[in-house]
Amino acid sequence: MENELVLEQINKKFDDGSLILEDINLRLQQGTKLSVLGPSGSGKTTLLRLIAGLENPDSGAILFKGQPMNDIPPHKRNFGLMFQEFALFPHLNVFNNIAFGLKMKGKSKAEINSHVNEMLLLTGLEGFQTRHIDDLSGGERQRVALARTLAPQPNLLMLDEPLSSLDRVLRKRLLIDLTDIISRLNITTIFVTHDHEEAFAAGNMVIVMNQGRIEQKGSPDELVQTPKNQWVKEFLGC
Amino acid sequence: MDRKITLIKKRTYIHPYALAGLVPACFLLFFYFYPLSGIFLKSFFQNGKIDLFFLDQVFASTRMIKIIWFTFWQAGLSTLLTLICALPCAFVLSHYSFKSKKIIKLLASIPFVLPAVVVAAALQACFGKNGFFFGVKIEHPLVLIFMAHVFYNFSIMLRIITGFWSSLQGRIREAAMVLGASPVQVFLTITLPLLKPAIFAASILVFIFCFSSFGIILILGGPSFSTIEVEIYRQAAHLFNLPLASFLSLIQIGFTFALMWIYTSFTKRAARFAPDAEKANLKKAVFLWEKMMIAGVIIFILLLCVVPLMALVMKSLVYKGQVSLIFYKALFENVSDSIFYIPPFHAIKYSFLFAGTALVIAVITGVCAALFIRFCDRKIDNRWTSFFDPIFMLPLSTSAVTLGFGIIITLDKPPLNLRTSIFLIPIAHALVGFPFVVRAILPAIRSIPEHLTDASSLLGASPLKIFRYIDLPLMSKSLVAAAIFAFTISLGEFGATIFTARPETPTIPIAIYRFLGQPGAMNYGQAMAISAILMVVTAIGFVVIENFRKENSEGF
Repeated sequence: MENELVLEQINKKFDDGSLILEDINLRLQQGTKLSVLGPSGSGKTTLLRLIAGLENPDSGAILFKGQPMNDIPPHKRNFGLMFQEFALFPHLNVFNNIAFGLKMKGKSKAEINSHVNEMLLLTGLEGFQTRHIDDLSGGERQRVALARTLAPQPNLLMLDEPLSSLDRVLRKRLLIDLTDIISRLNITTIFVTHDHEEAFAAGNMVIVMNQGRIEQKGSPDELVQTPKNQWVKEFLGC
Repeated sequence: MDRKITLIKKRTYIHPYALAGLVPACFLLFFYFYPLSGIFLKSFFQNGKIDLFFLDQVFASTRMIKIIWFTFWQAGLSTLLTLICALPCAFVLSHYSFKSKKIIKLLASIPFVLPAVVVAAALQACFGKNGFFFGVKIEHPLVLIFMAHVFYNFSIMLRIITGFWSSLQGRIREAAMVLGASPVQVFLTITLPLLKPAIFAASILVFIFCFSSFGIILILGGPSFSTIEVEIYRQAAHLFNLPLASFLSLIQIGFTFALMWIYTSFTKRAARFAPDAEKANLKKAVFLWEKMMIAGVIIFILLLCVVPLMALVMKSLVYKGQVSLIFYKALFENVSDSIFYIPPFHAIKYSFLFAGTALVIAVITGVCAALFIRFCDRKIDNRWTSFFDPIFMLPLSTSAVTLGFGIIITLDKPPLNLRTSIFLIPIAHALVGFPFVVRAILPAIRSIPEHLTDASSLLGASPLKIFRYIDLPLMSKSLVAAAIFAFTISLGEFGATIFTARPETPTIPIAIYRFLGQPGAMNYGQAMAISAILMVVTAIGFVVIENFRKENSEGF
């Protein structure tokens, strides 16, 4: 199968010259569910931001379906990114938050209505259309953020620690819902987390990152059974 | 054996922080509500009877209608001009990081803390006779008034909009971009709707300031331009028409209260829409047009905020074309033979004396008010906080002229006969500074976690000891900032002082006003010199306050 997303020798430095990402190479086939696992400061979020186009790499290439992405601005990539803090628009209600991406694509009113309703159904938010963002619980906000990300039918779905701002009980329940929704979509997904339970549940492939480098790549089973080095072994608690 | 039956009465314990509320309550009752009631009574009652003759004097007089109309339109136009100047600068400061940004932000903030009389003097120095600015001479009072209002209010507008705009530079903007919104679409659908309440709030605040502008209009407007505020002063101090002055004060209070109410509702909306504080992603200018835009903003801010102040200093240092300290020396000499002449040195001495006293009064009442609000926050219903907090802010929405006028017409007879007391001025100044002190201390005291109080309490600390060993040290930085605030506000206060100061105890702003009103190069030069001194003192105070503020990397 052809590689859909290709990252070639990506490097990114802080303003002070220290490396955030070092020599990142990654090839993802269509439909891959990739989990990016690593401690805070390992460069996971920066990796997502580079793929989304919110930041530019200092060197290296990002290709999607063979097309170089480096010079394409974020609004023209049609990638979906769900932010850690959800970044819901505080002045718009649930419906308009979800409809935002569709409006930007210039979809008709009827298309927007049907698509938003579909998303509300998918995320279990029926009846929430007119609710204000301030009136939603943490779990509900997370669902709105997911529905908003999925609504414009992105070519690539990225989730940046989507469960980290929720409490433990809710996190477990929503992880099941989230992986269920993602598995139903035939879309390449990158799920960033620092929790290996989440990483193993959400991805059929996992990369472990440390200090801006990929330490190991493989399926959850491979990682647990054959950790590549002492650091990975300790980090995974094997 | 007699059996003594002892009835154990339940002791009512009142928390010291609850008792602290009595201090600001009494202060406001005697020096705010009582004078305001005096204005109300003077407006509607003459010799114990209701008398409404002044209504004719106001509404049948074309002059009065013109004054009210002028007050409104000059405030509206000044606000619009300030907004036009501030918006592009706010865009650059909230989007880009550049080398001199910190100093530019500081320079842009200084005009707002300068006393109105200094601003008026600076504008005169810059564009008056022998204009400093490339010989440009502006004589039309209206143009000078607008320039002074823009100069004065630019920083507050810039501060509010930049702070809010930079908070929109984070995830929200990025989320819109990833969802397919182009930069223009992001601006129109996300930034502008979220920014609107902040722009309205800033505009209303500037409108209120221009609406109640006193020193600038009095000095630059000359006899032909008068606002309600200036007219209150003229009617009271020059024509002794106290009922009319009182009625104009009531009009002024009514309008400023209504505007303040609108302002508060906009700030609430702005706060509701404010995204969580996060580090803004500031850009570095890459393209030539970006670099030129930043250079343009730097030049504009230097021209607007620094040139008039430089002009002031230059004029105070140049005598007959030569650099000289003659004006500064003259401030410390008694050059007049008149027995009524008060040397400017005394004005400086009294100003510092009054400012020191005002500081003590404002800080004590302000700290007590903040402790009381904290008590309401935690121990009783939150509704009490929403009730008392705006009451403590009331002096802020009442013009200084009205406060000064109210004080002299009520505190001149028993039980509070302070008309001849030297304490009248610091009391008036403390009243003006009190809301600022509360606003400076309250966030610090509210940020002290409740578990610290609980822990100290369990370790045996009484409420007073908790105040001494926990609350006071933790709010000490804000306390210093509040004290400097109260001190500098008092130094530059003009509106209330012009009513309350006695001829033999003038303050620096009063001395500047007197010098500017007298002919001759010597008087003019001394006005510039004493203004420069006041400018330096308030600017230093402001820089110190800025250093004490909690470091907020993106908030302006």
